[in-house]
Amino acid sequence: MKTSLRRLFRSGEPYVWLAGGALALALSMVVILVAVILVNALGFFWPRAVMQATLRDGTVVAGQVVDREGAAGGPIVRVKLKVANRDLTSADFVWIDDSAITARAYPPEIVVVERTEWGPLIGVVKEVRERGAPVATGAAAAAALDARLPAAARLRRDVRAVETGAIGDVNRKQEQLRLALKGLEKRGASARADVEAAQRELAKLDEEYKAAESRLIELRSRGTAAVVVATAAGKDKEVPLAQVVGVYRPNAMSTPAKVWHYATRVWEFVSDDPRESNTEGGVFPAIFGTVMMVMIMSVIVAPLGVVAAFYLREYAKQGAMVSAVRIAVNNLAGVPSIVFGVFGVGFFIYAVGGTIDRWFYAESLPAPTFGTGGILWASLTLALLTIPVVIVATEEGLAAIPRSTREGSLALGATKFETTLRVVLPAVMPSVLTGLILAMARAAGEVAPLMLTGVVKLAPSLPLDGLPPFLHLERKFMHLGFHIYDVGFQSPNVDAARPMVFATTLLLLVIVVLLNLFAIQLRSRLRRRYRTTAL
Amino acid sequence: MAIAFQVRRIPLDRTRTARRLLVDRWAARVVTGGGLVIIASILAIVGVIALEIVPLFRPARAGRVGEPIAVGSPVLLAAVDEYRDAMYAVTPAGRIEIRGLSGHGAVTHDVAGLNGAGVTTAAVAGGGRHLLGTSDGRVISLEMKFDVTFEDGRRRIVPSPQFAEPVAVDPDGRRAVTRVAGAFPDGGPVIVAEVSPPRLVLVAVVQRKALIGPGTKEETRQDLPLSDDGAINALALDGRGDDLFVGTTRGRIVRYDLRDRANPVRVEAVDATTAGSAVTVLGFLNGDRTLVVGDAAGGVSTWQLLPGPGGGAPRLTRLNDFEPHAAAITAMSPSRRDKGFVTSDTAGVVRLHYGTTGQTLLTLPGHAGSVRAVTFAPKADGVVAVDATGRATHWDVDNPHPEVTMKALFAKVWYEGYGEPTYVWQSTGGTDDFEAKLSLTPLVFGTLKGTLYALLFAVPIALLAALYVSEFMHPSLRATVKPAVEIMAALPSVVLGFLAGLWLAPVIEAVLPGLVLFGPVFALGILVTLFLWRRVPAARRLRPGVEALALVPVAAIAGWFAFTLGGILEAWLLGGDYRGWLGSALGLGFDQRNSVVVGIAMGFAVIPIIFTIAEDSLTNVPQHLRAGSLALGATRWQTAVRIVLPTASPGIFSAIMIGFGRAVGETMIVLMATGNTPVMDWNIFSGFRALSANIAVELPEAPEQGTLFRVLFLAAFLLFCFTFTVNTVAELVRLRLRRRYQGL
Repeated sequence: MKTSLRRLFRSGEPYVWLAGGALALALSMVVILVAVILVNALGFFWPRAVMQATLRDGTVVAGQVVDREGAAGGPIVRVKLKVANRDLTSADFVWIDDSAITARAYPPEIVVVERTEWGPLIGVVKEVRERGAPVATGAAAAAALDARLPAAARLRRDVRAVETGAIGDVNRKQEQLRLALKGLEKRGASARADVEAAQRELAKLDEEYKAAESRLIELRSRGTAAVVVATAAGKDKEVPLAQVVGVYRPNAMSTPAKVWHYATRVWEFVSDDPRESNTEGGVFPAIFGTVMMVMIMSVIVAPLGVVAAFYLREYAKQGAMVSAVRIAVNNLAGVPSIVFGVFGVGFFIYAVGGTIDRWFYAESLPAPTFGTGGILWASLTLALLTIPVVIVATEEGLAAIPRSTREGSLALGATKFETTLRVVLPAVMPSVLTGLILAMARAAGEVAPLMLTGVVKLAPSLPLDGLPPFLHLERKFMHLGFHIYDVGFQSPNVDAARPMVFATTLLLLVIVVLLNLFAIQLRSRLRRRYRTTAL
Repeated sequence: MAIAFQVRRIPLDRTRTARRLLVDRWAARVVTGGGLVIIASILAIVGVIALEIVPLFRPARAGRVGEPIAVGSPVLLAAVDEYRDAMYAVTPAGRIEIRGLSGHGAVTHDVAGLNGAGVTTAAVAGGGRHLLGTSDGRVISLEMKFDVTFEDGRRRIVPSPQFAEPVAVDPDGRRAVTRVAGAFPDGGPVIVAEVSPPRLVLVAVVQRKALIGPGTKEETRQDLPLSDDGAINALALDGRGDDLFVGTTRGRIVRYDLRDRANPVRVEAVDATTAGSAVTVLGFLNGDRTLVVGDAAGGVSTWQLLPGPGGGAPRLTRLNDFEPHAAAITAMSPSRRDKGFVTSDTAGVVRLHYGTTGQTLLTLPGHAGSVRAVTFAPKADGVVAVDATGRATHWDVDNPHPEVTMKALFAKVWYEGYGEPTYVWQSTGGTDDFEAKLSLTPLVFGTLKGTLYALLFAVPIALLAALYVSEFMHPSLRATVKPAVEIMAALPSVVLGFLAGLWLAPVIEAVLPGLVLFGPVFALGILVTLFLWRRVPAARRLRPGVEALALVPVAAIAGWFAFTLGGILEAWLLGGDYRGWLGSALGLGFDQRNSVVVGIAMGFAVIPIIFTIAEDSLTNVPQHLRAGSLALGATRWQTAVRIVLPTASPGIFSAIMIGFGRAVGETMIVLMATGNTPVMDWNIFSGFRALSANIAVELPEAPEQGTLFRVLFLAAFLLFCFTFTVNTVAELVRLRLRRRYQGL
């Protein structure tokens, strides 16, 4: 036994296995990471049953079980309930000792009311009121509530449309006129016709504003219905239907209904605006901002990276100098992203943006237009950050194109430029694409430089909209990665926000991984192709 | 079969050819020029960042503004308004001489309430107030207001002196006040004055607010005990009116504790000058905690009240000595923005010093004649000195970042209120007189600490995994494992940071003992598996090169076992609470977001980088070396460790270097997974603050062009240089390796 053990160790086989163990550990870590994100993110949208627990001291709590805790491998010692009703009780969540629960029930009539404020409300519908007077109570109330919900949703949409549409429009026009006036005054034209015209226009806008405002008041006054919900703690809470986003009864739902609910929640998540300082609702502006920023960056980085790579590989005289530049560019990919962010702040925002403001937006100073963070500066910063990726990928592609291809073209009488444009560029295009996709994946996941150059927690408007000049490069934007950081670490109610952050994380992960897989696939196909042509 | 060529002659179109050649030439120029510009602008990043840093280290500069302005007879006091529009001086005749600093405008006001007496002495008290001592034993408080009006679009300033009701130091009104100091704390003004013949009188006014009607005012007046320390030469009272410092002709500073107004105590006396030369000037820096002492021999030093060695009552302690003047010090004036101050002497030299760093920044040029009064402008951007002939000289001072020196950034600095020199990063504070403490050392330390723990975790795993994949793994598996690891490298760091901070940190807190056990348990599990493996008949074994897959379930079982065992051992050996045990047995504190969490999360980010590069360089070792070794009878492990590994060692070194560079610059993970407190200890269970996270947290709040802004740029510059150097070294090593392989 002992000698066989010694022989085994002498053969080195245990060390091989230990090395294998390290790889197994690394792979397990990836699996655990993905599993944690998947479980937490996908569970978030599922309508969990509401448990109504009666405790030993007689109190009743109702909530969704979100966590269980116990000794390792032992029985469950306590459960974490999401009791919601943040405005009535102090906390969203309570931990309850399992032993303290004397009875559990899942009453089908329990509703979860999603509100625009204070998070969800869990309880039983007691009555529905119109202008403060009850119109339905008890069992009839539930039906009355369901009947009124679509109208309430329509009304909320209309109110929003007026708020952001008409009123927002007027506000923006007023702001523009005011700036124009200020500019005119600066040039010393205080009594000229154009000033009067602008003032007349302003007065007209004022009236428009008043009209929109009165329409808003009228719309709001139509929302008269309210629902009274009795909570498990025995309190009644009246919620105006205008604040109700959705109502569901998880305990009474069939599985298909739950699946449907799940799908609508997912859709809401990717298509809706955030609510409650980003802890509820959707992440649409963040998705939009991320995509927009990555696209602007791609438009900048692709031509620049390709030109630089063509210069280095096709036009520059190969020598020590070019090798040094190549190494420097390569190493730039290893420079911390935050350093690029600092550069963006110092150069793009304060130097370039400040100058643009002084030249073209002098009338709105000291409020900066381009002299502060914005999507253009963020995109440019990320373009700098990712340009080495594109250069390296393109150069690699250029190096792989056989000399004979170029020489063939030259021998047929094409100039160097024609060869480059018609022969080399098409051949290297897939490599450029690979580099670009890798750059996009890197940019989509990068947060640190964006924190300095234009990402915000909540952007009032998207960088692309229907108002001229349509693409607003100076606007601040939202970003999925920053959303994760902000909601996960800066929000006042991290516990309630956590599932939402997991969902955002999953979304970001899916985007980044898909982009990377695509790039890897493309690259391996390319390598195979060149291997055959080279033979 | 004959092949028939059909030759068609294309007519040579000269203009077209010329155009094509022209296009070609221009294209070459555009690509070359564009490429150069792009590459130059990429590399200019470091230049732009460096440009922002340069002003930090630019020495202070000063220049005289205009010709000296005649103020009049010798002055007792001089001061400047906030915008440096005007200066004013108080003369013994009881006049306030106000002069425009542009050389235009002169106004004279009389000191109110003098009743024929003269002004004998003047001093600066807190809040822009001056105290004037009179020849009939009273003290008058003066505050100068400048009202700004616009006339025809031109700025005009109108001075209006405000006087408070005089306080009688000598109720008889016969003895002159020779020196005065005062403070205006909330409880009511405190004035200390020397009247001749030498008596030191403390006058405290206690204001009591009544519920109805005017409050009562109660004045107490008492003599402070004098001793044989020498004649009084200078007085200084802090802003709270708690500590009085008396400088004497024998070079001593006597401290009185005035906290109990009714019962002042003489606490201590220290020798403050060399060779016993007289103390001529006493004054406080902004914040009233650091005392500046100037003496008759020209020495300038700063002092603070600090607890003695081993605790105990605070004692006056010397902090810094400054470049001495050649003649006796006549006056000092503190900056109201920072810890800077100016001193002047009888030879007419005015010097600018910075208290915290102990540096003399500048000697103001071009002044002659004994200086009687000197004042630092409120925004610390100018100095006015008045000489014995009554001429005022005005300098512009350009000194935006006096607090930053190499020493202040990287060495220990003795800040106000600290018992000893330390490294501190604390950029913002609650009060107006807060002094920013910008030591980069704790941040560099934090960065290195995080990097070290991350590499401790990542390097063994990454290298062993790379060795396994390149040497032992089945090629078909390798084709899937490598992209999987590449995906791992692409995980956004914000995702890792989020998971580390919100999911991993609580998990680790719960199962730390199990985590410690996991390594050995897993190793044991692997050996057991190997043993069982060998029992299986060779024909039914899996093919070699897939051991790692078989070990994934082993890792899961080992994890479960280790965590259970950890729980049991914790309950058994550590009293059920390992954190308490860590604190009591090892003296280690425990934060939930600690270096273990960062190590694992950042390790996760670094593993794929090290793995990929190391695996590449291992795989690229020429195959005939392996074949030779195996043919000579070496086992596959021996071949891997003795032949492949040494050959590829430069590549492995560069892999670790690049991993190191990545960990140093990682921002989001350290930002989210540590507490971000800039402490300096190696405790693995405490957090830290890294350079990168510090930039991310503070740069959005830092005012442009300010000191903090520039220091953060300096931090970024350090990160850049550091990672760029490390990466370049790694790249060069790798290139050399490639050449070596070609030679093999």
